[in-house]
Amino acid sequence: MKFLVFSEDGNGATGLVTKLRESGEVDSITLGGEESKCINYGSKTVTVLKGRAMGDNSLKAIQAMNPESYDKIFISSSPLGRDIAGMIAATLKSLVITEVFDFTLENEIIRTKRFFYGGKTILEEESRAKVITTQPGAFEAKKVDSSSPLNFVELEESKISLEEEVEKDRSGTDIESASILISVGRGIGKKEALDQVKPLVEAVHGELSGSRPVCLDYKWLSEERQVGLSGKKVKPKVYIALGISGQIQHIAGMRGSKIVIAVNKDKEAPIFQECDYGIVGDLFQVVPKLVSSLK
Amino acid sequence: MPMNIVVLIKQIIDIDQMKTDPKSGEPLTQNIPMRIENLSKNSIEAAVQLKEKNGGKVTGIIFGTDKSNAAMKEAFAMGVDEGFIITGYSGNNPTYTASVLGRKIRELGSVDCVIMGNQSADSYTGLLPGLLSAALSMPLLGNAVSVSLEGEKIKIKRVLDEKDEIVSAQKPCIVSVTQEINQPRLPPVLQIMAAGRKPINTGQAEKGDFEMPKVLSNLAPKSDRKREIYEDMDKGIAEISKIIRGEMK
Ligand SMILES: Cc1cc2nc3c(=O)[nH]c(=O)nc-3n(C[C@H](O)[C@H](O)[C@H](O)COP(=O)(O)OP(=O)(O)OC[C@H]3O[C@@H](n4cnc5c(N)ncnc54)[C@H](O)[C@@H]3O)c2cc1C
Repeated sequence: MKFLVFSEDGNGATGLVTKLRESGEVDSITLGGEESKCINYGSKTVTVLKGRAMGDNSLKAIQAMNPESYDKIFISSSPLGRDIAGMIAATLKSLVITEVFDFTLENEIIRTKRFFYGGKTILEEESRAKVITTQPGAFEAKKVDSSSPLNFVELEESKISLEEEVEKDRSGTDIESASILISVGRGIGKKEALDQVKPLVEAVHGELSGSRPVCLDYKWLSEERQVGLSGKKVKPKVYIALGISGQIQHIAGMRGSKIVIAVNKDKEAPIFQECDYGIVGDLFQVVPKLVSSLK
Repeated sequence: MPMNIVVLIKQIIDIDQMKTDPKSGEPLTQNIPMRIENLSKNSIEAAVQLKEKNGGKVTGIIFGTDKSNAAMKEAFAMGVDEGFIITGYSGNNPTYTASVLGRKIRELGSVDCVIMGNQSADSYTGLLPGLLSAALSMPLLGNAVSVSLEGEKIKIKRVLDEKDEIVSAQKPCIVSVTQEINQPRLPPVLQIMAAGRKPINTGQAEKGDFEMPKVLSNLAPKSDRKREIYEDMDKGIAEISKIIRGEMK
């Protein structure tokens, strides 16, 4: 089989190509500057789109690669990725299955799993969909010894003009690759309280992540650290949830964790249904004690 | 300049109220009320604000069922001027959904802007904006947290993972919005009553030749977590630090 993979940031291609290379030949596409992240995963070629990528001009570049000739087109989900997935599906008039976190292939039949009802159920479907969007980080990436040859393609000008760019406060962390995550929720109360959590992060050589209100509404942590349905899907060895209630949209992002530990002062918090070990108590008392007990 | 704005409204079951059967994991969808999907409310609000600023008209389209009247009336109360309900929604093939909506939008004639949510709360598909952009050959201004009309151009601020951008394109455009764009208004009672009397146009979706995926199962994920919960803090800490140390090796 022949697969085409698109990943805006390169990272989304690594696990996807690792999984697909067992079933056939993969050509990957990413944006200029991201190619180094995905050249060692066994793609036959990596096409690099250079210039300012928007939906319309990226679609043109992909159309020039003859997408009809591929059996399936996989797109790692991201803002640009989803826009492009829709455009390709429209031009190919194909069924699309979206936000897939697991799949198996049997010739042109694909069996997919994705969340439904806002994360309350898992919908397992079988179809001949030609376009599939996948959750970043859903598949394990394994490098190969060789590196893929690069094709550089200059993007045409987009119909959408850029008037201004606002860089975000970005720490460049990648919570998806951390083996221990300390995740904080609204229960920490204020940004300054992060200082009381950091000793634990250091003691376990972990990374900080958070719930949506913490990352998006209050901005106590940067957006790239958000775990959940609309954030990152993580599967660390240990996920420690501090002051997170455990709403379904949050669980959808950390369900793959090997061990889940929760600290919450509310005995009835739903997170206690989704953890392996839980302490009912004030996180500001538990965290320092846990740190000294770990030393 | 007066604008002809189309807003796409999705109706879903109230997923916050929906539970799953503790034994079988089946979703219990019976007797759960329908509601306008949150991002559709943000879309309506954005459309109505554009109209209030520039003049013009907002047309709401629901690809729904024969139970979609209440949602359209709510949209009227928020300021939508005209409404079309297309029945026959099944929801499993976004390409089909886009083809039905695209045909309706083309029928409406000259449109300046089509507004919709970027990803709906139930399925999180997020494909409709791109599908319609290609089908209608309108540029897509995606993930907007603000939208305005500037002469012949539509301008948005969009939020990406790594940066925010202010981008614009010649109208007509597709605009997809995120929940941060606005706080949808709560219409006053008088407007709700007036909305109830407003006529709604209804039609049936044409069936096309579209593949629907076969559903193999749709169940609550099984959680086989240990659920060892300690109310005695010190005992819990001793146990948990042992576990963490084990994983750090
Ligand atoms: C479409 C959609 C997408 C969403 N996507 C996401 C997503 O990706 N990620 C996400 O996280 N959410 C998401 N949400 C939001 C989600 O529904 C919840 O609102 C959110 O997860 C709640 O965050 P929280 O647990 O931090 O806050 P809360 O629910 O307010 O919980 C705070 C918890 O802290 C506890 N607490 C307070 N003080 C202390 C203390 N001193 N010690 C110990 N415990 C304490 C409280 O008992 C409470 O349980 C989404 C929602 C929607 C509708």
